[in-house]
Amino acid sequence: MPQFFIAIFIILLTVAAYLAMMKVYQRFPYPFFIPVLTTTILIIVLLMTFHISYNGYMIGGQWINSLLGPAVVALAYPLYKQRHVLLTYSFPIIGGVFVGLFSGMISGLLFARMFGIDRDLILSIIPKSITTPVAIQIATGIGGVPSMTVVFVMIAGFSGVLLGPMILKWVRIRSSLGRGIAFGSASHALGTSKAFEYGELAVSMSSVSMTLSAVLGSLFGPLVVWLFHI
Amino acid sequence: MKEQYLILKAVKIILQVAVLYAFFAVGEAVHLLFGLPVPGSIIGLLFMLICLIFNIIPVKIIENGANFLLSFLPLLFIPAMAGVINYPALFSGNGAILLLVVVMSTIVTMAAAGMASQLLEQRVNKRKEKKKCRNSLSRSL
Repeated sequence: MPQFFIAIFIILLTVAAYLAMMKVYQRFPYPFFIPVLTTTILIIVLLMTFHISYNGYMIGGQWINSLLGPAVVALAYPLYKQRHVLLTYSFPIIGGVFVGLFSGMISGLLFARMFGIDRDLILSIIPKSITTPVAIQIATGIGGVPSMTVVFVMIAGFSGVLLGPMILKWVRIRSSLGRGIAFGSASHALGTSKAFEYGELAVSMSSVSMTLSAVLGSLFGPLVVWLFHI
Repeated sequence: MKEQYLILKAVKIILQVAVLYAFFAVGEAVHLLFGLPVPGSIIGLLFMLICLIFNIIPVKIIENGANFLLSFLPLLFIPAMAGVINYPALFSGNGAILLLVVVMSTIVTMAAAGMASQLLEQRVNKRKEKKKCRNSLSRSL
């Protein structure tokens, strides 16, 4: 029974922290104030100051986490609503996702090699632009360290969300389609949640590219490893 | 009256989230059963999309639940994110290099995917315009 109350308390705390950070973001809409980032930092600080382990936090956290599966399924709804646009632009979507997928895996690999990073870490970096559950499987398949991959996936998500608006301005991506595909291919579901700030078309583009990257990534990840003889 | 409406809406959202959860569970089962490399949530999404397109289930059944979950999407990541706490090594010197590699690669990925898709989109739009011109021309003739 106390487990139950702890779980409820943690869930309420997390939701309250998120809503408060949301208010902060509305007041100060700077990229570094996005609620995911600020709430995560707040929670880490709380856990550290009160010496609570991550496992302890997950007594409640796992319930929030368990909604991620149905939330990914829910992305079918914006995809369905935009189905005609998706069909018309299937060529740029598939093209953009392919370019994103391969540039993501290959650039990660080359940069990592440049800095002389160990083989098993390079293998863990390769699937970093793909949504966590798929990235874990790809990493396992090609011989990487899954728990490190989770961290890299998060960094890819955060850096895309934080730097995305700037990058898109630099390379002059103005269309909702281009923005959505950029966010979905580089920063998976986290990028998709950022795409909500650019409208419904950007969201469906982002979720379709995230989905496509996941499906194609699980097929092409091993190919990239084989091609570069790691 | 208003309270009743709110309760009704909450029940509706809970039931619709349950439908979405059922699709996720089916996807997960298919993933395990056939040992597919694609995870259960993505399989569930594809099933859901197929069901919506072929009118096997009406959009109304999931509309509110989907909107609800998607409006809180960033919140759902927070517990997984907080897991970085278990990797203090990431904040040391070696970690900084790894961070740099991933950030640089993400910048490249984003720019490449965005540029490629925008370029291809412009080509599709041009083709569409040409078609439109041709149609209006033939009509005026």
